[in-house]
Amino acid sequence: MSNWPVGASILFVLLLSGMPISLALAAVGTIGTAAIIGWGPSLSLLGQTFFDNSRNYSLSVLPLFLMMGNFVVQSGIAEELYRSANAWLRHRRGGLAMATVVACGGFSSVCGSSMATAATMTKIALPSMRRFGYPDDLSTASIAAGGTLGILIPPSVILVFFGILTQQDIGKLFLAGIVPGLIGVLGYAIAVMISVRMRRIDLPVEEKLPLAARIRSLRGTAGALALFVFVMGGIYLGVFTPTESAGMGAAGAFLLTILQGRFSLRTTFETLFETAKTTAMMFFILFGALTFTNYVNLSGMTGDMQIALTFFGDSPTAVILTILAIYLVLGCMLEGLSMIMLTVPIFYPVVAAQGFDLIWFGIFVVVVTEISYITPPVGMNAFVLRSVVPDVALKTIFRGLLPFVAMDIIRVALLLIFPVLVLFIPAHM
Amino acid sequence: ETTLRMANWLPPSHPLVAEVMVPFAEQVAEATQGRVTVDIMGAPLGPPGAHFDFAVNGIADITFGVQGYSPGRFKTTNIAELPFLGDSAEAVSVAYWRTFDEMLIDAGEYDRVKVLAVFTHGPGQVFTKGRDLTSVDAIKGVKMRVGGGIVHEIATRIGATPVEGPSSKAYELLSQGVADGILFPYESVAFFKLIPLLDQGLAVPGGLYNTSFYIVMNKAKWESLPEEDKAAIDSVSGEALARLAGQMWDRVDAAGLAEMEGKIAITTASDAQVAALAAQLQPVIDAKLAEVSETGVDGAAALALMKAEIAAAGTE
Amino acid sequence: MSRAPSLPSPAGPARAALGVICGVMLFAMMGLTVVDVIGRYLFSAPLTGATELTEILLACVIFIGLPAVSLDDEHVTVDLITGKLPAAIQPFRRAILLLASGVVLAVIAWRLWAHAGQIAGYGGTTNSLRLPVAPVAYLCAICTGLAAGITFAAAMRPPRD
Ligand code: NA
Ligand code: NA
Repeated sequence: MSNWPVGASILFVLLLSGMPISLALAAVGTIGTAAIIGWGPSLSLLGQTFFDNSRNYSLSVLPLFLMMGNFVVQSGIAEELYRSANAWLRHRRGGLAMATVVACGGFSSVCGSSMATAATMTKIALPSMRRFGYPDDLSTASIAAGGTLGILIPPSVILVFFGILTQQDIGKLFLAGIVPGLIGVLGYAIAVMISVRMRRIDLPVEEKLPLAARIRSLRGTAGALALFVFVMGGIYLGVFTPTESAGMGAAGAFLLTILQGRFSLRTTFETLFETAKTTAMMFFILFGALTFTNYVNLSGMTGDMQIALTFFGDSPTAVILTILAIYLVLGCMLEGLSMIMLTVPIFYPVVAAQGFDLIWFGIFVVVVTEISYITPPVGMNAFVLRSVVPDVALKTIFRGLLPFVAMDIIRVALLLIFPVLVLFIPAHM
Repeated sequence: ETTLRMANWLPPSHPLVAEVMVPFAEQVAEATQGRVTVDIMGAPLGPPGAHFDFAVNGIADITFGVQGYSPGRFKTTNIAELPFLGDSAEAVSVAYWRTFDEMLIDAGEYDRVKVLAVFTHGPGQVFTKGRDLTSVDAIKGVKMRVGGGIVHEIATRIGATPVEGPSSKAYELLSQGVADGILFPYESVAFFKLIPLLDQGLAVPGGLYNTSFYIVMNKAKWESLPEEDKAAIDSVSGEALARLAGQMWDRVDAAGLAEMEGKIAITTASDAQVAALAAQLQPVIDAKLAEVSETGVDGAAALALMKAEIAAAGTE
Repeated sequence: MSRAPSLPSPAGPARAALGVICGVMLFAMMGLTVVDVIGRYLFSAPLTGATELTEILLACVIFIGLPAVSLDDEHVTVDLITGKLPAAIQPFRRAILLLASGVVLAVIAWRLWAHAGQIAGYGGTTNSLRLPVAPVAYLCAICTGLAAGITFAAAMRPPRD
């Protein structure tokens, strides 16, 4: 019954050999399950897992939130967010990088994916930062880090997955992400200041805009603000369920695209095609992870893992710090969604048994996933930056990210010490 | 020595696990003098609707679930889900098993498994917030959360606006005002923590619907057991297991009702209301019986037997 | 772990067709929610079957999108050490991996087909509209089979870059 170390080792080798994560998970899960319950049942379970989970109504929010984000990209409101943030921050040293972080936060409030946020902001913020002579490591790092907020500030694809895996209210998870997200924006702005000070970079500072001009710049943010208020307000006031909010948000973003004069049939189909591909890719990872999780459950690994989590003591603090350490290590090597799907089903019963609120744990998991996006060697957002601007070395991006990772660690500590930062808003829903 | 793996999609604390499956597992071990044990899995292998096929395909040895989660598959289930059947889940469950054993099994819907039990939940009733439920057309226009199947049809026929969603989303739909009422048994209202969200209940004698459950076993696994073990398992399944489950639902229904005390005002439907509901629901009953007859089992005769057995079981 | 950027693909028309189909389905998913919500508030008449139609569309988007992912080689992989291997063995590694991936996809397609047969056997339908479910499962099996075929074909071809 406990052949899981063999299975886990084979999975590790397959992953390192470059096999698609989804297929490696499905293959090892099926073979491992066959070793326990026989080939016939195991192969039946494979077919059932891939089909029966593909018709999960709650999961329909994923393509719809992806669609919303992609329409928002198409609508061009990212430029206006950046212009406005810049109007307020241009007179500070490192102002353009701070504006980048703030605009990333704004964009995150209408886009549920970190990689989409990073990719979009690269195209908008990087050219002007380069024009003003910002060093590549600072400018790319502020985008890569700011982009991670996409999964914390609602809406969030990762929080949807977490909610499904742990049967938590997705609306509450969304609301819980707001304050930690704002702390994240603040932390990254401080990281920019630290970078600028420590390295004594001589950055040009623009003259301060008059208040009237600054306020006028806010007009450009109206579209994003309206969309955010529509989606989150709709959930908060109960006009529609979180599941429905995705469809309403996608429709709102589509409308915004038309209002901004960015509609074209061709671009729309390209946007939808990208959405469908990302959907297929993500769901296959989910199905693969579920196949592997079944093997894990049948093999008794869950029990072994739960014992392992209390290795350093079974006080809540010891367990959560052990989990944090595991996530920091895994986060270096694994892509965020895969990491969550592999670990959350195993961890959350232990965490709940220790008396932690699972809404809080969801935000904790998302913040450590954000860290995983910007730590070497596998940092998805750094990769996104690198694929958009191939002339910057990955090493440069990761070097620039150091102060941002440090701020993330401080943020995790804050959430650990003051859980109320997470739970205040959802408690008043 | 044989260990039977039981797939489980509910939390271990759920009464269907803690008060039916766990005692059943103990009874199997006892009846077979420890030769057969039942191991209840801690984590689900798939969504609830997938569990019948888990037994068919041998992914787990024993599975339980709700027939209604596989729409189109079980037509004879209609017999147990009809309105006005009875107030006691125990009586309805025992009668359901007897009717199943005598007539419904001939429809062949369960040919690929060994059936250990079929049974029902307690009667489903009407709950709303901010509505006077004493008038005849009280339910008209209420946005009523329903799961689908017969409940959807019943809600529509009695004039409600059905809002679809899984039961796990009931809290969300009601707390956000997307729905302003629900058709549920007392137990479920309490279990899904809906009591603070509701203030009126309408108790219809015999209930508006029941939910049908199954407990089945992989056929090959069953046939691989020695005759004496089969006989031992038979002695604690079938009617005995249906009764065990029905008693549990009655207990948790009573607890749910007690929890509503002072929070939800429950009115018993007046004769005029019952008459109106009966007239509104007759077409649903007729259509459901016709569906049963499609399987080759006489729907009207099965319902007559079911009602006679409910009356008999109620006086035992 | 990274996603390769889309390259101009020889299968242009296939991509275009997949794009249009997925686009229409995603738009339908969005439209269903909007009509359902508006119907509920303005006319007290939510759309019957909106939930189950959304579920079917979701399954279709996932599985029709899959051949497109395989076509554009956008499956998520770990390229922690593969990039550092000597260039001489890269073509072999790539061919073997694509063959293995193709086999896994083919097995999944086969099992989906078998499951579809099982659903057809008992006449599985959706909850309210009573639409048959088996055709959706057959479609999923065919799309996965297509993705397997695309992957095998890619294994036979020299790398594009
Ligand atoms: Na977001
Ligand atoms: Na990382």
